Amino acid sequence: MALRQAQGDTAAQGDTAAQGDTAAQGDAAAFDFAGLAARLRPQCEALVAQYEQPRSALLPMMHLFQEHQGYVSQDAMRFAADLLGLSPAVVESTVSFYTLFFRKPVGKYMLQVCRGLMCELNGAEATMALFREKLGIGHLETTDDGLFSYEEVECLAACDKAPCMQVNLEFLYNLTPAMIDEMLELMRTGTYAIAPMVQTAKPERTWKVGQDAQVALGGKSPGTLNATDPNNAGGVGDASGVIMLDRFVSKDVAFTARSRERLVRDARAVAEIVEEEGANGHAGH
Amino acid sequence: MAEAATEMVKLTIDGVPVEVPKGTLLVEAAKKIKQEIPVYCYHTKLGPAGLCRVCLVEVEGMPKLQIGCNTPVADGMVVHTRNEKVESGRSMILELLLVNHPLDCPICDKGGECDLQDYAMAYGRGASDVADPKQSKPKGVDLGPTIVLDEERCVVCQRCVRFDDIIAGERQLVVKDRGHNDIIATSTGDPYRHNFTGNVTELCPVGALTSKTYRFKSRPWDLNRTETSCTQCAVGCRQFADVRYGTLVRTMSVENDDAISDGWLCDRGRYNIGYLGAPERLTQPLYKQNGQFVQIGWDDAFALWAKAINDARAAGKAVGALGGGRLFNEEAYLLGYVMRALGVKNLDWRTGRQLQASPGANASYEALENASSIVIAGDIAELAPVLWLRIIKAVTRKGARLVRVGACGAAPGFAHTDVTNAGEAAQAVAAEGGVAIVWDGADLALGAALAATFASRSPLAYIASEQSNARGAEAMGLLPTDGGADFTKIAADAANGAYGVLALFGANPLRNAPNAETMRGALQATPFTVVSELFMTESAQAATLVLPAKSAFEKSGTVIDIAGDLLPVNASLQAPVGALSDLEMLIGLAQQFDLALPTSEELDAAVIARAAKPLAAALGEARYATSEPLAPSSSRSIWDGGGTCAHDDRIATLRREPVKVGA
Amino acid sequence: MPVTKVLTAGIGEADLRDISVYRARGGYKQWERAVRDLKPADVMEACDKSGLRGRGGAGFPTGRKWSFLPNNGKPRYMVCNCDEAEPGTFKDHMLLEETPHLVLEGILLGAYGIGCTHAYIYIRGEFKRGYQIFQKAIDDARAAGLLGKNILGTGLDIEVTAHRGAGAYICGEETGLLNSLEGKRGEPRLKPPFPAIAGLYGMPTVVNNVETLAYLVPILEKGADWFASVGTERSKGYKIVSVSGHVQKPGNYEVPIGTTVREIIEIAGGLRPGRTFAAVQPGGQSSACIFEEHLDYPYDYESMAKAGSMLGSGAFTVFDDTTDWVKAALNSVRFYAHESCGQCTPCREGGHWLERVLHRFVEGRGLRSDLEMIRRVSGTITGLNLCALGDSIEPFLKSVVNRFPEQFEARVMQELTPA
Repeated sequence: MALRQAQGDTAAQGDTAAQGDTAAQGDAAAFDFAGLAARLRPQCEALVAQYEQPRSALLPMMHLFQEHQGYVSQDAMRFAADLLGLSPAVVESTVSFYTLFFRKPVGKYMLQVCRGLMCELNGAEATMALFREKLGIGHLETTDDGLFSYEEVECLAACDKAPCMQVNLEFLYNLTPAMIDEMLELMRTGTYAIAPMVQTAKPERTWKVGQDAQVALGGKSPGTLNATDPNNAGGVGDASGVIMLDRFVSKDVAFTARSRERLVRDARAVAEIVEEEGANGHAGH
Repeated sequence: MAEAATEMVKLTIDGVPVEVPKGTLLVEAAKKIKQEIPVYCYHTKLGPAGLCRVCLVEVEGMPKLQIGCNTPVADGMVVHTRNEKVESGRSMILELLLVNHPLDCPICDKGGECDLQDYAMAYGRGASDVADPKQSKPKGVDLGPTIVLDEERCVVCQRCVRFDDIIAGERQLVVKDRGHNDIIATSTGDPYRHNFTGNVTELCPVGALTSKTYRFKSRPWDLNRTETSCTQCAVGCRQFADVRYGTLVRTMSVENDDAISDGWLCDRGRYNIGYLGAPERLTQPLYKQNGQFVQIGWDDAFALWAKAINDARAAGKAVGALGGGRLFNEEAYLLGYVMRALGVKNLDWRTGRQLQASPGANASYEALENASSIVIAGDIAELAPVLWLRIIKAVTRKGARLVRVGACGAAPGFAHTDVTNAGEAAQAVAAEGGVAIVWDGADLALGAALAATFASRSPLAYIASEQSNARGAEAMGLLPTDGGADFTKIAADAANGAYGVLALFGANPLRNAPNAETMRGALQATPFTVVSELFMTESAQAATLVLPAKSAFEKSGTVIDIAGDLLPVNASLQAPVGALSDLEMLIGLAQQFDLALPTSEELDAAVIARAAKPLAAALGEARYATSEPLAPSSSRSIWDGGGTCAHDDRIATLRREPVKVGA
Repeated sequence: MPVTKVLTAGIGEADLRDISVYRARGGYKQWERAVRDLKPADVMEACDKSGLRGRGGAGFPTGRKWSFLPNNGKPRYMVCNCDEAEPGTFKDHMLLEETPHLVLEGILLGAYGIGCTHAYIYIRGEFKRGYQIFQKAIDDARAAGLLGKNILGTGLDIEVTAHRGAGAYICGEETGLLNSLEGKRGEPRLKPPFPAIAGLYGMPTVVNNVETLAYLVPILEKGADWFASVGTERSKGYKIVSVSGHVQKPGNYEVPIGTTVREIIEIAGGLRPGRTFAAVQPGGQSSACIFEEHLDYPYDYESMAKAGSMLGSGAFTVFDDTTDWVKAALNSVRFYAHESCGQCTPCREGGHWLERVLHRFVEGRGLRSDLEMIRRVSGTITGLNLCALGDSIEPFLKSVVNRFPEQFEARVMQELTPA
């Protein structure tokens, strides 16, 4: 398998459209999302036009933004929500369902090694151990230099060429230790056949969010936010000291709890009388 | 539809024959024979989701267990809800729900009223094979100003998510991630905040979603529950007030209240209870001497008030009373009764922008749902929040068309047409079907124009009042009948020194009235002003005599809602020592003049009779138009209006932020 | 050896991605004929008479599936399911990348057959390359006037849109797929209503597998009788079998349905030297293992069911005596736990629980009571789920726990040492 760029399958060069955005690499603050959104808007609108209902364009749009920004940012999700008339929460909920959408920045090479049973029968465990050792990171983690992200994924549907993996979604088959060594070396020197992904912000230890991040980091829940003690109104005071002002009560005009049903019944009965009486003037005066 | 509804189907549930309309779901059909089918995700108002799988039943002839929540009845169907096969499946579901559930029942607010506890007791296996640690998930997540989420307790029934989508139309709460990592969340960085958030705490079958106001406050069995009607706005939602040892700790909706609330409460109705125990509550009458308030007793207060009235009469000065839109019917009636007995004709419940509270004919809230077109004028979403939920239901689920006339507040997130006048509204409504008009009662010309434009369609008419019992006050006669002055004239004349005594009941015109400046002059120029209030409001500060009043939770009576229903309000709480209800104050005043008062039976009869009497012929036909024009109404929030919200610091966090434009 | 090349004809010999190569080999002839000479009903009849059954896993007769569409005047949708993610299955991946025009021709024929004017193909997110290849096939076919507006000048309009998923096995479930295609979470829908009544955008919809639709091309070319003449009584025609695992030549092999299990293993080069046969998982991760006693069963829908398993998607995984069944069981259960959409209780909680227990077994920390728990829980949750995913946990797990109990018992902790 030809790994070096010069010998590589030219189609594997990745997306030329994405190349233009690498200028903003590595500086999150400098990333001009508004500019990107303005450039991608026509493509997004074309995607919307492909479908009978606009919302169908959500996944393709998120793919598009991920290609150009390296991950699906909050900005991208809000842009999509706005364009498609959805709530931002609904967009985020949808995006979070799919493992191929990265909600945080990832390495330039996303190494996704198949952990499916058929690959496991053919040595995937050793392959995965090798990757972990060579990269010094675990499942769902990114190297400190931001070059590699590593994930062990479910069956990639290439079981006849096990063990297999994907690098930036391009397939690599029948992995051997020698291949892996050479591949990582070429990636480090920037001469690998498969183009690196756009990186517009420095990745963190994991790109996973929420519970998945917890799994990734193998640690305790990162998100325990102890709500500040909700201040409630104080008590009403000393109820035992209440003195009913009985001289008023004795006037026979204190009202006790009554049932809605009785009230409705009475009201109906009176309504009938009132209708009969017609314009007989003010009741109660 | 009507034909389908009448077609009946006969089936057998647990050996008992049942006859229900075609299309009924098994879970509802079983209720007919009082056989419980447990549910988590299913909810009568939300419909089936098929997620929790606890409602398993066996239907003879079907190999697999079926879910009762999504299986419609069929003729001759034989259903078992409690046989061995069902119990086995159901106990497995409960066992699975408990695999990761923290079992922190002893410190869980839901303990004692938790569906997971109850069903685990009733249908659970009673033993566990779980040998592994439970999955750790975020606890105490601050979802927003009202709600705290315990993710570990969540059973992912998605009732909250569906409520937010289907009922509230907000789509702020969603499920994120997937599988066993599912969490309930909002969009990253956004607080969960809208006018109906509290409902999710009641929908939550477990203790995952809890109210900040109620967290760790009580056990359900310590609560003393009173059924009452909410008086925070004019919708009048049926409500439970739960009191723990003299403190109102929470209010809850009434699920089967189809006629009024449809089973929901708005956040103001639910959470604006902190003021009841605020330390600044007035508890003793205050009399202003040399510019300083001094505490006096009630006997002195009544005597001073009576003397002021006598002095005014002697000096040929006028006497007037304003307010009443927050009083109960009985109080409003007695206010009119006492004042008229004293010869006072200058009475007006109106102190704000709203000029009319009663439409021509009554129309029920349920009827509103079935209108083909709904025309609104005014910020109805904030004036009558739970009524707004009906409008959402009509538009998003029943296909009604919404037309907004003039300034109606923030644009809703669903289809609507904005127009500027009644004529345009007529163009925008559906050509067929019923029309409903919901108006804020402010711009009489607009109200009249709407009534005239749609007269041929016999529209349902509603007036969403600013004050909770404006309609009751109007019905009880707090209007300048018999040649009295209306509120704008009272203010203008009083500012010119024509009044000797002016009383305000549950009104704070210096804060809320469009003619606040004139009112300020009126209160300054009048030698004796009385204000009945819970707190030292702007108007109270300008008064001569301030009377500490009981809140709506501390007294019983009735109110009239937007639809014209007469609703009971039942006392759930004892008032702070020293506070009196307005009714008791009026009795106290009447005693000073030895007036004969009606007995409670007479009062009851009078209230009921007046409540049943139509007051206006149509919208815009307020019988007593104002003497001077008022500024047009503007958009508002459910937290505006009453002054009570100002006395609970927490409420500040609940107020919705200004609507972001183009966000 | 009964390897036949029907759909796989030309793969590896010619660049079938090139529309001119495909057409030179007779490609799009059936589509041209259908558009010019056949009525939609003719296509439907051929499909029905051929006895073609869904090749995605459920094996439902395709003609019958089409017949469920109501004649209510609503727009209809044909959706091709190329969300191939069933572990062990890799045939659609091959067809998509190697012979995209055949797939497209099949989709067009299917769309025409049911009277649909806008067909979709839902391509698994990981198949980015396949998506690009297929998109080019659509563009080339459009340029050739084979799809889009006024096809071949006949006035017929059929649009085909390729839609890429984003990583979720559950989107292979047809209602999960439709939700995903609508831009939602790929959560399966509560049924009824079924897609034939209310599918994509609430309209009548047929969801067919890639291989199923592709077979329409040879069926129209050679006739329904030709297809129906092959196979067994109720399982007709050919099937691409994705053979993987412990065989010498894993790969996709197209065989007449009814070829025996033993023959298929031999076609794939047989076991590796020195190994002995242990089991075959004949229908993807969701199927139970079959064993030595089933080696001479014909590989068809009925026989596999009789053997206690299923033909499924045709994923045929061979296990030899070196297999660590505890690890295999964990792998399988972990897959379902990872891919559970999380909507319904038994699948969400049950899968995750079983995964944790099996994880302990792999580490040698199993409890004796766990074995009973594994059987009880996996068995009881079957049939309680909203969709088939949760029901798929049990078959493989149960078959190996029952067949190789000693491997599990060996991982039970022998003594508990006090902490």
